[in-house]
Amino acid sequence: MLPTYVSGAIIYSNLLMLLSIGFTFAYLTAKVPNFAHGGNAAIGIYVTFTLVRIMELDPYWAILFAFPICGLTSALIYKGVIQALKRRGAGLISLSIATIAAQMMIFASVNIYADYMRGQAGAYARVFLFRNEDFEWLGLPGVLLVSTLLAVSIITVLHLMLTKTKFGIATRATVENADLAGTLGIDTELISLVSWFITGGLAGVAGTLLPLWFQSTPYTGSLILMSVFSASVVGGMSSIYGAMVGGYVIGLTEVLGTSFLSDQLGSWVLSYRPLIPLIAMFIILVRVPEGLAGIAGKIDLSRIRESASSLSTFARRRRGDRDA
Amino acid sequence: MPSQELLLTIITDISIWFVLYLIVTIALNLQYGNTGIPNFGMVLSVAGGAYVTGALAGRIARLYYNVGTDLDFVADSAKIASMINNRLASDPLGGIVLFLLIIVIAVVVNAVLGFIVTYPSIRVREVYLMMVLIAAGEAIRIVGENYYPLVGGTTWVQVPNVFIWLGDAQRVVVSVLFVGIALLVFWVVQRIVGSPFGRLIRAVRENETVVESLGKNTVGIRALVFVLGSAIASLAGVLYAFHSHAVMATAFQRSSWTFLPWLMLMLGGKGNNRGALLGTFLLIVVRRLIMIFKYEVQQVIPVEAIWLELLLMSGFLILIMIYRPEGLIPEKPIKVRGLDYEDMARVNARNRESGEGDEWRDWQLE
Repeated sequence: MLPTYVSGAIIYSNLLMLLSIGFTFAYLTAKVPNFAHGGNAAIGIYVTFTLVRIMELDPYWAILFAFPICGLTSALIYKGVIQALKRRGAGLISLSIATIAAQMMIFASVNIYADYMRGQAGAYARVFLFRNEDFEWLGLPGVLLVSTLLAVSIITVLHLMLTKTKFGIATRATVENADLAGTLGIDTELISLVSWFITGGLAGVAGTLLPLWFQSTPYTGSLILMSVFSASVVGGMSSIYGAMVGGYVIGLTEVLGTSFLSDQLGSWVLSYRPLIPLIAMFIILVRVPEGLAGIAGKIDLSRIRESASSLSTFARRRRGDRDA
Repeated sequence: MPSQELLLTIITDISIWFVLYLIVTIALNLQYGNTGIPNFGMVLSVAGGAYVTGALAGRIARLYYNVGTDLDFVADSAKIASMINNRLASDPLGGIVLFLLIIVIAVVVNAVLGFIVTYPSIRVREVYLMMVLIAAGEAIRIVGENYYPLVGGTTWVQVPNVFIWLGDAQRVVVSVLFVGIALLVFWVVQRIVGSPFGRLIRAVRENETVVESLGKNTVGIRALVFVLGSAIASLAGVLYAFHSHAVMATAFQRSSWTFLPWLMLMLGGKGNNRGALLGTFLLIVVRRLIMIFKYEVQQVIPVEAIWLELLLMSGFLILIMIYRPEGLIPEKPIKVRGLDYEDMARVNARNRESGEGDEWRDWQLE
């Protein structure tokens, strides 16, 4: 049905979008970039591995397990590291290096787990691909459908949560101005903690689906983080909707761009795939540092202001005509 | 005597690693400790220095001595290196010139690389700079591991032994030379930090807006310090390559060349070079001991030593930052030439007695 690189591009973009929404959202609430985000995805990958190889279950059960596991890991990082450091007056850079330390801890643990699993499940615990464990529907790979459904439903739920619920409105207030939100009785630390739980869980969910289409290793989590950075920068790091678009832009560019270039130049291009998001990030930072959200904002604002002023002059003139 | 031999081995081993990491930590201290630039991509410059050495030292020497020019540089690098070493054994001047030439090239290349990498992000939000630097550190590893002609991809290239003419004295002399280079770097950075420019970069760290209001170009200053730090850190890569006579792209991981220097700096105390020195020394000793007793440790805890080490290091960093954020040696204000501190103390004492006038605060008196 679909060429494999198109399915791959869509699946990758869906998962990247989930990851970059999480990265941006966690940054917006706590004002700390969560560099352990890739680590949560790595945990998700190994949840799938455990379910498929050790328990011999359907890989999609991993979504149910990975969400709480990775959510709790992420919440633990926030509670145990970020909050403890914030209380001692640590600045942005200290908090960031602490999340890198957390990433290193997760990375080491995942590697230890993979080594242990190699003893349990044979040689393939460090490099694996579960395309054969997936179902097919109308000739489409199952992970394509599931990841798309998941992406759409998670965006819908997040959107409804942010706009319709009290918690969501409190979250947006925290994002806009944490101090002001605090004076209104909003527990901003709780909001950040919950958002880190949710985003960590989402990263884990994205991770569980990765091995169904892409070859996965303990390093996958750190590598995909480069695409997540790029997607978030494209999105402007200022709203989850920007991150959504950024995830798709970078995901499609990365996969389709790599397959296009490897057709043109030869298969050696494939190994340089992670450089594409980096180059995209450079271009965006040089040309439009505020990201796509910034461009959209600029266009809208200027147009709206223009049309609003012309409308108001028009209305005034009409009124003036009528009065006269 | 074998025990004396072993002791010498341990001392030279520790001193070489200490020197390599000291250079990186000092560079990081200049960038982060003094100027507040979060360089999460330190590995970029170290790998850059090593790649320059791996890719160019052999090629330049091969052309100069006109040996093995028909061989494949990467596949036959061992053969080429041994041919070059034969010639270098009787050509001390050639060895020294090659060593210095590679240092100059590496410093220039990495300064340019540092400028290019930070160009898009040093003027925008701090978070972007962090992300770009992390990504750039990963990118250089990807390039090194995949671009075969550079340093052999996942294999390695041999680096000519530029000190082979020293014969048996090589190990000791090279250790002393490297320690000398590190001390020179330490002294130069210490001078920079103590100069008016040093006060300027600490002012940039504390409050960019204030510095800009005084007519200084903070973006330019930050870019300059980053370039300077990159150039210094690349020295570590060059020395590493010349010491191990080989360059292997897989050796330049984020954990060992970005994270470990950060841990050293945080342990010792950021913002002062003595702290950086102490932190580097302590961690190198601990790390080398872990490496030496790795088999004994593995008997007790059946986990690969590198992961155990990484786990311990990262946990340790978090604990330091929570319980002793200023490090073992906290930063102290640097005395400024031209100010009469004794007179300021006298003025203080007089004002305190009379209860009039402003007091010089402690940080001005230190």
